[in-house]
Amino acid sequence: MKETRRDFLKKSGGCALGMVALATQMHHLGAMSAMAQRVIDSQSAGGDSYKALVLLFWSGGNDGNNMVIPNHSDATVSNYDAYAAARNTQGLAIPQAQLLPISVPRISNLTYGLHPSLGPQTINGTTIVNNGIHELYGLGKLAIVPNVGNLVRPLTKAQYQSSAFQKPYQLFSHSDQVNQAQTSISNTQAFTGWGGKLADRMNTANNPTGLIPMVTSIAGSQLFTAGQTTLPLAIADSNTSLANVLNPAGFGTNPTGSTLARLNAFNALRQQDLSANYIAAASHVTDLAMQANSALQTSQEVTVTFPATSIGRQFKQVARLIKKRLDLNVNRQIFYVQIGGFDTHTSQLTGQVNLFTQFSQAMRAFYDEMVVQGVSNDVTTFTLSDFGRTLNPAGSGATVGSDHAWGNHMFVMGGSVLGGDFYGSLRPDGTGTYFPTLVQGGNDDTDSGTAPRGRWIPTTSVDQYASTFARWFGLSPADQASVFPNLVNFPGTFSQLNFLP
Amino acid sequence: MYSWIASSAKRLTAITLVLSAIAAFAFAQEDPDPNSPTPVLISEAASTRAIATDGILKSSDEIAKSGPKAFGLGSRVVLYATNISLLPGEGANAFRVYATDKNGRQYRFPVVDIEQITKGTSGIYALTADLNDEIGYWSAPEQDGDILIQLTWRGLGSNIVRLGLGQVGGNVADAPGSVPTPVGYNGSRISKGSPATPSTPDFVGYRWSGDRMRFLEQATFGPTPALDARIRRIGLRTWLTEQFEAPYPSAANPYPNQPLKPANIGTDPLCDGGADDVPVTCVRDTYSMYQPQIWFFREAFYGDAQLRHRVSWALNQIWVTSGVDVQQGRHMVEYHKVLSKHAFGNFRNLMKDMTLNPAMGGYLDMAISTRTNPNENYAREIMQLFSIGLFMLNQDGTLMLDGNNNPIPTYDQNVVNNLTKVLTGWGFCQTPALCPNLAVGTVNFIDPLLINAGVTTVGNNRHDLTAKTLLTYPGSTTTNVAACTNCTTLPNIETYANNSMNQALDNIFNHPNVGPYIGKILIQQLVTSDPTPAYVGRVAAAFNNNGSGVRGDMKAVIRAILLDPEARGNVKTDPNYGKLREPVLFATNILRNFGVRSADGLSQSDGYLVGRAEFTGMAQTPFLSPTVFNFYPPDYKVPGTTLLGPEFAIMTTGTSIGRTNFVNRFIFSTLQVPSPTSAPVPVSVPNSPNGTTLDFGDLIAISASDATGNLLLDELNNRMLHGTMSPQMKATILPAVTSVVSTDNLGRVRQAIYLVATSSQYQVQR
Repeated sequence: MKETRRDFLKKSGGCALGMVALATQMHHLGAMSAMAQRVIDSQSAGGDSYKALVLLFWSGGNDGNNMVIPNHSDATVSNYDAYAAARNTQGLAIPQAQLLPISVPRISNLTYGLHPSLGPQTINGTTIVNNGIHELYGLGKLAIVPNVGNLVRPLTKAQYQSSAFQKPYQLFSHSDQVNQAQTSISNTQAFTGWGGKLADRMNTANNPTGLIPMVTSIAGSQLFTAGQTTLPLAIADSNTSLANVLNPAGFGTNPTGSTLARLNAFNALRQQDLSANYIAAASHVTDLAMQANSALQTSQEVTVTFPATSIGRQFKQVARLIKKRLDLNVNRQIFYVQIGGFDTHTSQLTGQVNLFTQFSQAMRAFYDEMVVQGVSNDVTTFTLSDFGRTLNPAGSGATVGSDHAWGNHMFVMGGSVLGGDFYGSLRPDGTGTYFPTLVQGGNDDTDSGTAPRGRWIPTTSVDQYASTFARWFGLSPADQASVFPNLVNFPGTFSQLNFLP
Repeated sequence: MYSWIASSAKRLTAITLVLSAIAAFAFAQEDPDPNSPTPVLISEAASTRAIATDGILKSSDEIAKSGPKAFGLGSRVVLYATNISLLPGEGANAFRVYATDKNGRQYRFPVVDIEQITKGTSGIYALTADLNDEIGYWSAPEQDGDILIQLTWRGLGSNIVRLGLGQVGGNVADAPGSVPTPVGYNGSRISKGSPATPSTPDFVGYRWSGDRMRFLEQATFGPTPALDARIRRIGLRTWLTEQFEAPYPSAANPYPNQPLKPANIGTDPLCDGGADDVPVTCVRDTYSMYQPQIWFFREAFYGDAQLRHRVSWALNQIWVTSGVDVQQGRHMVEYHKVLSKHAFGNFRNLMKDMTLNPAMGGYLDMAISTRTNPNENYAREIMQLFSIGLFMLNQDGTLMLDGNNNPIPTYDQNVVNNLTKVLTGWGFCQTPALCPNLAVGTVNFIDPLLINAGVTTVGNNRHDLTAKTLLTYPGSTTTNVAACTNCTTLPNIETYANNSMNQALDNIFNHPNVGPYIGKILIQQLVTSDPTPAYVGRVAAAFNNNGSGVRGDMKAVIRAILLDPEARGNVKTDPNYGKLREPVLFATNILRNFGVRSADGLSQSDGYLVGRAEFTGMAQTPFLSPTVFNFYPPDYKVPGTTLLGPEFAIMTTGTSIGRTNFVNRFIFSTLQVPSPTSAPVPVSVPNSPNGTTLDFGDLIAISASDATGNLLLDELNNRMLHGTMSPQMKATILPAVTSVVSTDNLGRVRQAIYLVATSSQYQVQR
């Protein structure tokens, strides 16, 4: 059980591996030849202090139109009335009085509003968990990046409507848009995620003696976490202690006799029959688990109270791993957590109240815990989703919802975040603001004609958004193109969005 | 322990009786040898360097006699192979060339042509491969020396030879055991597969014991000795016919008959989810997924119509609805009835009944999609996920490409919008005269959706009456639905809406993608994750025409999948063959293998697995798919490789340990409920899970008969690995087994099963 990766490799090397087995074995273990490793690691050297990125994925396509809302009456840009005009008739508009105000320096200091569930959650006047993420905006620890989406290149409405311009494949389809957001590649199907690719290039330099992979998912396997040489750790949420999360039952702490014989055989079998690639792949995943299990046996508990929701428990598990970072010998970590249920074709109002409350409370608890741990400046949390949703509602009344769309608003949270403002790019022609024009058939809508739905053409690409985190995380500019191959299509320089130093 | 032995002895007696009875009958038919020959790539006489030349050969050409030669990426290379026997129509797309470079990175080169050499030595084929990686996972290999090449065909891998890329040489080592294979080489692998086991040949219908078990792994929820005996007697084809006719579900295990959930359930003091409910589990037992879930596992454990249950489960993972969204057990039952009804029917009828199924209507919102508030959810998914997929396919399932080598979308947003309009106006059945299962105060999740349900005036019509366009594709006939010209009455609107829907479903059903798209997913569900295009093409052809001119005949599709030469054979050696057993099949295969029964050992298991962490920790709970994309997507690639491996999407560090813990629970103790430490609940208490356990009696007897442990491992090898346990694997397990004192045969059996069941060799169905 104490087998290290090096031991495992040594043993594997002694086996009679078939050709294909060797292939699988080697890239699964990241044990490429020195030359290949050098190619991938190139210049992303490590050396500085701990940093972690946490991706919160809103699964299903969150309707950002009801999350960040104009809360002003300035008629030169979309104001609250423009929003209400599009959504109030069918009953989808959030009343202005309920909005939690935020000020936006980069849009003339106008006031916008957050959905009320992003504020303090109270019962009978008492805050039961925490103040939510709204307060962090005012404290300068939460930034908003409006109208982010998958793009191959900047796109105007006229270009979108012309077949000659390259657009992301299969717009408005869940699975494809999720893949694009998680790979930051929208022109063709890609098999590795940008989190995994960061780890491919940064793991050796930053976590040379790391006992777990650089990337950890608390929400199962996700494309975001898969690199070419990186396999993620995927573990259950905080309902299971770290000591138990990968612990095979039945062996006890100090197996002897026939139990030890069983354990030895259990481990040895995973180094056999590797010429069959599926067998090798299954064995490698288990090996990774067994190795991590050894490293996770000493416990570290967190201080702050996390909400007892799935997303609360996921963030709590991330916080535990961050607290254990020194034991695990990791200097860079990437985490993936997820909350689902955002595909609100129906019953969106109640659905979003529930979901927004859950993720806001969980994010805030996580932020507070990072402060307690003294690493709030080293940990940045950010969001992504499949896509945004149509401004034009689907249905009406109690079950009103919205359909699949495109550009969407994102949150970035952390001590290093230059919060309290909006970030992003303007339209390719330089018109508009950092916030889309809330008009069906307007300049930001994909649609024209008789029944435009209000699907925003993103003004900021996922590539721009993602690469801003990557640069802060320490990815060398020289490696930028290999992780974000389409970033060159967008104006500006690496990390141009500036919400991180 | 005593009872295990006793019951096992009883069973042995029963089997003996059955065997005696069988001897009285002639076998129904004898199936042919399922084993294809193993292809051999021809090398130079004194080395493992492939004989290779440029370009495409004519069949009249002779085999090249060139010396060592290097090839450039992008060029075409001719390789020579022998020991191949082609079916009529079987061609280049039945073959794949895998290459591995000095860094251990794997590439796949498409085989574009195969010709038999007619001059010189007979039986030699020239295969032309394009040296362009068709996977694109790794950047192109460096052209600085030899790469290793392997040819695969029908799940069998050839010998491994070397080929110069850019230049000859470099430091790639030969694959272990490689020897030169020049023309005329007559090594042992020229023989056809592994020899058959001619057990009791006088009345054998299917004598290949390894392939019998493989077939049962593919067609059922797990082999059992009884099924093995049945197939040995009657053969595969007769068994399939028998299964097509078998009553379903089993008489002893009818579909749960749950009531619909009242909207005002909160007013029912005895069944509203409160602590004072009678029984306290009333809501779970009456309205939740619990009943369908335990029903599902009972049928998997004990049902006779195994094939229908298995194919229904495969379809369940294509046409997904989930209790995560519509949280009623009854709706899932009605949904499952549609799957099982058409599992051996026609795909077109499945499309129709599923479109109007209320569970689907609720899950993907068609039941609330109206003329004025259309909802495109179902319209999109019926195309994207349930029938044609996103991109135009060749009939062998490969992507069709345009002039710029880009995939061609099957539809665009405009098609989605139009199909949405076609499907507007259907709602939950709520007209007493037309909806026999309508119950006041409930949503009718039993009767099919009804057009304009509850609408009484033409003015309130919900169906879109305007003209719509449909899919256009090669061979499409009607590609538009005309506007309604006589929709002035509700009956006329109903007729129009019905006709429009059928027109649209015909339009989708006849799309050339359906055969390869659905065929490939079903192959992945039953047989192998990354089938060759040739295999997909043969199954698609069966979908397109069952031999009698009928399209969409599911029986023909299932026969084609399960009897294909790529599916059949005692042993598969293609390194990329097989599939990871998904958690449901992993669990049922183990449980069926070892006499699954109730925790007290006295009766059948009640099928309860779903509430226990040992099961849910593997991340696949029936009827609770997280999204419409199923537990795993069919195009998922194993991380770090180029391999399609759908089930690996739920094989993570966490779930891999979850699998070992599931095995640990069942092999070393009992799945007791409600907690691991509680005493078994008597079966007599209704709707109270009473736990599940296994019966190792027959294995204990085997272990007791042989203190060396060899017979025990031989038995597990046959039962669990269809004879493929390597000598190395056996040598690893044996000392662990004999480390248990020879008087503790239960301990030895547990030790052995644990190690086989947790091994990756078992977790991959191959």
